[in-house]
Amino acid sequence: MSSQSLVCTGCSCLCDDLRAEVAGTSLCRIENACAKGTAYLRSAFDPKRRASSSIRGRPVSLDEALTEAARLLSRAKNQLVFGLESATLEAQAVAIELAHHIGGAIDGASSFSCGTIIQSLLSGDLPTVSLAEAKDKADLLIYWGSNPPHTHPRHLSRFTYYAYTDYDPAGWYPRVTLSCVEVRNTELSSMCRPAFKIKPGGDKDFIDAILQGASGGSDGPGAFADMVKKSRFCVIFPGPSLAHSLGGDFTAFREMVRRFGEETRMAVIPMVAGANQRGFNQSLYQQTGYVDQVSFAGRLSHGWEFSFLEQVRKRVPECVLIIGSDPFSALPPELIANLEGVNIICLDCFTTPTTDAATVVIPTSLPGLEDGGSMLRMDGDKVVLTELIKGEYLTAEGVLKRLAEGVG
Amino acid sequence: MNMTAEGVSLVLVTYRDIYQGVAEQREGLGEAYRSRSAIVRVSPTDLKKLGLKDGGRVELKTRSGSVVVAAKADPACPEGIGYMPASLYSNRLASYDPSVSKLPNLKRIESKAVPSERAITPISDLLARKKVA
Repeated sequence: MSSQSLVCTGCSCLCDDLRAEVAGTSLCRIENACAKGTAYLRSAFDPKRRASSSIRGRPVSLDEALTEAARLLSRAKNQLVFGLESATLEAQAVAIELAHHIGGAIDGASSFSCGTIIQSLLSGDLPTVSLAEAKDKADLLIYWGSNPPHTHPRHLSRFTYYAYTDYDPAGWYPRVTLSCVEVRNTELSSMCRPAFKIKPGGDKDFIDAILQGASGGSDGPGAFADMVKKSRFCVIFPGPSLAHSLGGDFTAFREMVRRFGEETRMAVIPMVAGANQRGFNQSLYQQTGYVDQVSFAGRLSHGWEFSFLEQVRKRVPECVLIIGSDPFSALPPELIANLEGVNIICLDCFTTPTTDAATVVIPTSLPGLEDGGSMLRMDGDKVVLTELIKGEYLTAEGVLKRLAEGVG
Repeated sequence: MNMTAEGVSLVLVTYRDIYQGVAEQREGLGEAYRSRSAIVRVSPTDLKKLGLKDGGRVELKTRSGSVVVAAKADPACPEGIGYMPASLYSNRLASYDPSVSKLPNLKRIESKAVPSERAITPISDLLARKKVA
């Protein structure tokens, strides 16, 4: 039994320094994975956690599930394709093509998180940088509304603070300032010097105070502005909490970054959750000019009305194809209840509340373990996955291609 | 913080808990997930005003729904605030109203808290749609 390298697709860090020993259908050893990645990879070997083919809760063959899914998708008047944040770039490309072919809408989880900010990065309205360059050159790292020890556990050690290469000669302290903007005390805030604590929902007021020229003080927007202006190169890592606090409107945030950019180098890297969320956004952007909320019905359209939230609220789709995503766990049940009576086709590696509620479930392989392909790390850096074991599951790309053939 | 006949006003602030995420990944929506999700951390002062001991049960109510969870004392939590892991429990209390915000209020939920003698809300009561028959 030999140790093999693999990429962890448990989050958007896409750590590519893992090693694993696999014997038959057992995972014997994993090295370098965090708790989140270990649980993710181990559960791939637990049959109880894996999704299986079903139609309306009845176990069926893969072929039967594919046939029924294609039938539901092709006969529906309005279709919505959603998710894809944990699918490979190759699967995402097929899903976008499928949505185009059937004239449906397509959206991703970024729609209710950092989508707006990724759109700004890709269109050049906000400056960004690779994690590799940030590690070597930035002297100020600010996590805003994100707590990586719980969401991206190896982010600090692999890509930022602990990976910093320039150390103070008097000790091990890196020549970089770690800071955060948070509403509560966290593991991260205890490490930050300084940490800026704000009231829940107070991000807009904090940014507005900076835009109004706040300066001075020790723990408010003035001190924050002074800290950024004194830096050589500041990287901000905004998280979903900031997106929610701002109601998805990053206009003031963009203006703040632009103004700081007149005095120092600035860059933004969103702490997206899904392993290949950035990939989905970038793939769709390259095809349509938009990162999410796109409709292919008639001519290409984009807008809030094509978001999963609005499509479901207005009960627009007759059939929803969900790929590697779990909106039933992530969104208010009073909204999800609007999907009652809607045919849901769900492709996933694992059982989730969404697969439990789906009309048709089609199991897929786990990217990076049972499936090759590629993904984009949160900074847009392409990471090539290798297939470690031959699993019994079709890849999401393979399933989507067969669905496309079935739809005709 | 405001104690009325209807209960104590709490602004619920949700956060990600890696241990809850690991439990869900390993076992699905089992006991480990439930015990790491069905909690709200409040200031010791708020806990006292609710007349609860550490770990006592509290019902959280919003216009969208209600859940019964365990209330735990957190000295770092300000009065009037409740820290809650993001989960099916907090989602039950959240809502989506585009006339208020383009995003659901999953991260900041205004609620009322009242002491409760009912059992912790079972996971099965929180799923938006029952398993397809």
